[in-house]
Amino acid sequence: MKQSGNFTAAANKRHYSQERMVTLALLQIKNFSFSYPRSAQPALQGINISVEKGEFIGITGPTGAGKSTLTYCLNGIIPHFQGGSCQGRISLGGASIFDRSPAQISRLVGSVFQDPEAQIISPEVEQELAFGPENLGFPPAEIEQRIGKALELAGIPGLRNRPTVNLSGGEKQRVAIAAALAMLPEILVLDEPTSELDPVGTDEIFQVLNLLNKEHGMTIIMVEQKTEQLAAYADRILVFNEGRIALEGEPRQVFARRRELEQIGVRIPQVARLAGLLGGYERCTLPLTVEEGHLYLESILRR
Amino acid sequence: MAAVAEYISRNSPIHRLNPLTKMIWALSILGVGLLFNDYRYLLALLASVLLVAAAAGVLRSLLPAAAGLTVFALILLLIQALFYGQGQVLFYLVPVSNRLAVTGPGLLSGIAMAARMMALVLSFLIFLATTRTRDIVLTLVEKLKVPYDYAFMFMTALRFIPAFFSEVRQVSEAQQARAYAVEGWNPVKKIRAYAPVAVPLVLLSLNKADQLAMAMETRGYSGGLRTCLREAKMGVADYGLSVLLALLLVGSAAARLAGYGLM
Amino acid sequence: MQRKARIKVEKLTYHYGSGQPVLKNISFETGKGECIALIGQNGAGKTTLAKHFNGLHRPSSGKVYIDGIDTTSMKVSELARKVGFVFQNPDHQIFHDTVAREVAFGLRNLRLSRREIEERTAAALEAVGLTEHCRTYPFNLSKGQRQRIALASVLAMQTETIVLDEPTTGQDFRESVQIMEIVRKLNENGHTIIFITHDMSLVARYARRVLVLCRGEILADGDVRSVFAAPEILKKTYLRPPQITNLARCLGRHSIPPDVLGVRELYELLVKMRSEKIGCCS
Repeated sequence: MKQSGNFTAAANKRHYSQERMVTLALLQIKNFSFSYPRSAQPALQGINISVEKGEFIGITGPTGAGKSTLTYCLNGIIPHFQGGSCQGRISLGGASIFDRSPAQISRLVGSVFQDPEAQIISPEVEQELAFGPENLGFPPAEIEQRIGKALELAGIPGLRNRPTVNLSGGEKQRVAIAAALAMLPEILVLDEPTSELDPVGTDEIFQVLNLLNKEHGMTIIMVEQKTEQLAAYADRILVFNEGRIALEGEPRQVFARRRELEQIGVRIPQVARLAGLLGGYERCTLPLTVEEGHLYLESILRR
Repeated sequence: MAAVAEYISRNSPIHRLNPLTKMIWALSILGVGLLFNDYRYLLALLASVLLVAAAAGVLRSLLPAAAGLTVFALILLLIQALFYGQGQVLFYLVPVSNRLAVTGPGLLSGIAMAARMMALVLSFLIFLATTRTRDIVLTLVEKLKVPYDYAFMFMTALRFIPAFFSEVRQVSEAQQARAYAVEGWNPVKKIRAYAPVAVPLVLLSLNKADQLAMAMETRGYSGGLRTCLREAKMGVADYGLSVLLALLLVGSAAARLAGYGLM
Repeated sequence: MQRKARIKVEKLTYHYGSGQPVLKNISFETGKGECIALIGQNGAGKTTLAKHFNGLHRPSSGKVYIDGIDTTSMKVSELARKVGFVFQNPDHQIFHDTVAREVAFGLRNLRLSRREIEERTAAALEAVGLTEHCRTYPFNLSKGQRQRIALASVLAMQTETIVLDEPTTGQDFRESVQIMEIVRKLNENGHTIIFITHDMSLVARYARRVLVLCRGEILADGDVRSVFAAPEILKKTYLRPPQITNLARCLGRHSIPPDVLGVRELYELLVKMRSEKIGCCS
């Protein structure tokens, strides 16, 4: 959707440990802490995250762990909209995010929130997608182009002329994703976008995100409670607890930490839990999906 | 109520007109309606409004709203008829004691008031029903130079009316399920009885406004210079109609000055 | 069978205004002490059906009986004594300045004595684990805690039947489990439970009977195992059994039954199998 470099980034993703040496991280969070006004307890404490271009980062953890607060720090709600005090550094594309104006941040970070009802601004889909680029003052021809592309990427070209009221929850969230994509962001930040959706809607969202990430190299940060799907699609999982990152790594590494996850209160995908009970897998091959679980059990039963 | 202010999708000539033309039409109805107070003129005006609704194919959809308006119109009629006070008494509302007299001129002036009110309100509803909100906003901003913030506020209000009514229903259902029932006619009790519905509604609306503001913020809404994807174009029909409406208004004013349409 | 059904639905059809029917010819009944999950996609009619149980909706045709009484003959506020209803979003109902007052609201509507109100409020708060928050401002608590306030306010009404509409939506794992454990206890204490959910692992873990709704019709009605063992039916309404049930179905040739519901269950089956294998080999 943007520079051709995206595709190489996606292709290189599997070797990202090598790539890390040569390229600078797209997003870098260093020793970051944040406290809301009138709150004794910091909402985020000593956060360190480095995100490469084209990565799909899944963030999970209990309510109040600071997941949403982190997304607010990334999309400029903090500190422009909501006050508080922060320490440390968040840099996006090499420059500190706090030096940028909200309009500048909105070009870099696409945001999708939890409630499909409350985040759709316009009565019609086309208008909803045009809203952002119009605010940024782009000429109509360019807006038109962005709308067409964003609708296609979100898989909803047919919804263009529909009123937004009658859409299903899944459709509304895809409109929200498309509206974020119309800003041509460097990174997409989603805060529990499926929590109000039914299974069909949830699948729609994960499929769209997976396609965006794998085919178009979109960098994605997704806060989510549905760990079964998150484990299947994310490159890396961060588990937040009490304002800190408690666990971090590839899904297989993270979901192997059964005891810690249970203590924090994170749902472990059922297949991984079974494998955890049975043992007999290497750390890097913990099964996460039904297919992987099937292969794993066949190998166990053959012994 | 929820359906009243909504756009009704049809492919009628009325729908295809520029919002500005329809705005001028609604204003002309307002102008003409205020100029005259002869009931025949005002009934003709109401009939013309209903004809436009029929031509736009939205008459049927507006019926519930029209029915609601009729109740208001009847009340208006009654009040006007009762307090007009001049002319020959037709009948008494309380026949035994000869009180609350309804006079002939009073009744006619009541009909005129009711017809005027219905014509004005319906013309505005037809405007909303045949014009997409985005086009209204566009016209307000581009043609009438209304600041975008105000036009946007208007649009958002329209957008959230249906959501608000569904929330009213949900909240009152949730309270009814806890054996809550508004009973009796004691006004103090009645007002206090609204708290279980009103308080959650206010909190929910504040929360929603907050989330909406965040969504706008992350989409670059900052009051800076903005562009528009579409432009509001005036066609031949639009110019023609606007001129006709202007002539109608001037003609009406002249007729009124010449003494027509007064009672 | 003359067993008295708590809720009996007979050929229920419902449509909003003059629109398409949202529920079509639905019939079923529930017995005392059942725990039923109502599942299906959004728009399938789950909430609409549930709202018939406490009279918020009245059938367009057909009948709904609660304890043998036709719901059309009763007011919603009267039905509230028989069927408790926990709504999806607790913020649609909370309006008091303390948790205890919020819970007492329904009891005051029932015009109970002050002493009884206090006792029932305390018991309900205890049951949902919010006793120490009884004087807290509800909006200083988390969404999960507010959901438990809503649950307590229904519990306090001491209704035979409790309906919960997506009680765990928008909550984290621990909060979800907490709420469902309360529901389990209520069911063990004799309450009839009907809950709506999209989370199939919760259905597997907590429900005994499942009603599958699809476009206003009942697609399946049976015990959890038999419904989850027939995924073709669920597929029609785009639902999937829990991951572990799907996994067990892949293992048919190892004589693992296709209706496994939980991780523990499959684990124990596998361990037993392995020990038998080892047993016959040695």
